[in-house]
Amino acid sequence: MTPTAGLSFKPIHFEQAMACPAEGLWFEVHAENYMVDGGPRLAMLDTLRGAFPVSIHGVGLSLAGAEEPDRRHLDRLKQLVDRFEPFMVSEHLAWSKHGETSFPDLLPFPRTNEALEIIARNIDIAQEALGRQILIENPSLYMQLQGHEWPESLFLGELVKRTGCGLLIDVNNVFVSATNLGFNPISYLDALPRGVIGEIHLAGHTTDPLLGQSLLIDSHDAPIADEVWELYDWLLALCGEHRPPALIERDDNIPEFAELLEERERAASMMAGCRRELIHA
Amino acid sequence: MPDLASFQRDFAAALMADERSARPFRSPAFAVYRNTSARGAVEGLRAAYPTVDMLVGDEMFTQVALDYRGERPPASPVLSDYGADFPSYLAQQPWTCELPYLADVAKLDRMWLETFLAAGAENGRNAPQSRIMLHPAARFGWFMTPAMTIWQAHREPQQLVELEPDWREEGALFTRMGNVVRTKPIDAACHRLLLACSDPATLSECVTAVAEAHPNANVPELLRSCVASGALIIQ
Repeated sequence: MTPTAGLSFKPIHFEQAMACPAEGLWFEVHAENYMVDGGPRLAMLDTLRGAFPVSIHGVGLSLAGAEEPDRRHLDRLKQLVDRFEPFMVSEHLAWSKHGETSFPDLLPFPRTNEALEIIARNIDIAQEALGRQILIENPSLYMQLQGHEWPESLFLGELVKRTGCGLLIDVNNVFVSATNLGFNPISYLDALPRGVIGEIHLAGHTTDPLLGQSLLIDSHDAPIADEVWELYDWLLALCGEHRPPALIERDDNIPEFAELLEERERAASMMAGCRRELIHA
Repeated sequence: MPDLASFQRDFAAALMADERSARPFRSPAFAVYRNTSARGAVEGLRAAYPTVDMLVGDEMFTQVALDYRGERPPASPVLSDYGADFPSYLAQQPWTCELPYLADVAKLDRMWLETFLAAGAENGRNAPQSRIMLHPAARFGWFMTPAMTIWQAHREPQQLVELEPDWREEGALFTRMGNVVRTKPIDAACHRLLLACSDPATLSECVTAVAEAHPNANVPELLRSCVASGALIIQ
């Protein structure tokens, strides 16, 4: 089965997921939730993996950290990859560790030439340790930083060129960052390299309780916004015939499985080619 | 423009600093990062210590978890690794003298989590000379407070009537049968047996240790029930 549109896996939906006959359905899990020695969590993922393609999405490698990736963490990721044989492995263009402190977040940095060298080194280390290509995801950005020497699209493209990694483009993150930092999301998508996008993420966002529409939060706790569906449509057009698998991400305020499945069906239909009709219906 | 390492050093320091001193990153947008990284640690801790959360309430738990994070931030991105020493941290806080069972309840929450996430027997220690051993997922403890009664009343609320526990020592055992974590109170003799079996030992050495410490204990029955509950493996 070729994976088309997938869902982030929620254990509360396990039984419905296992019974779901949707063609092309696949699931993504956060690597760090499964870095445990044993027990029901891993057993559930074994069963899921027996029935569906699975993608492993890491949030803790800190690839944009000045330090090299933590070898113990890479070993644990390798164990998961070896056990579950995911069809995709992905991580973020962000950092989350400094010295002995880990921050459960995806933190920003100035995209300088120095940062490019360091991150390319870190991706090389990760891909070598895992023995496979990984996809790098664009983060949601909230604040202007001084000192950027690269726009993000070109920075990602250069990382692809230097390391052979692929890209995971989170369309909601593009929209959130574009709104927060004031750039054009279409221009961002247009500047991405062609043929290297291995996966697309779609998710919902909310507004900051104090600043409202001027500061969007990548909260994954709401349905996907119309503007994000429209950007997805644009990105699909840029991808041409090579349309990467898409994922509906939802991490909070989890609705019924059927509601997530509806968003998933919409993404799958758009991938299949009937895009404009859905957008303008 | 600072180099990447200097930028990250300053940014990390500002994330952990008091809000008023978080310069040069004092902005509503920076607060998103501050709040997200703090909330991740707090919610990770809350997920690991649900009974403590129930006992002290959401708001109080958040404040305690923030204080704990200030002293002992996560060292790993795997949040189930975080907070192993939260029970001992609680025991050291002056305010917990009002809730003398709280640190023990936290230990019980941790034991439940460890049992839930532990390797199965097939991956466990397997010293060739031992005849009896603790299951890798089994956790047990002995407490000076009625923490187990309080813990069970909150985690298994069908048992909750009017909770007035006797103030006495209690033992607790957590095991995993299949994919289900089971909990039960244990007596001192059972605790002694599990303790004896924690290190590789022969069956007769363990039985002798329990019989000497608790002459009235029905050791064969204790062994049977510990094996049946999945706490012990006899080879």
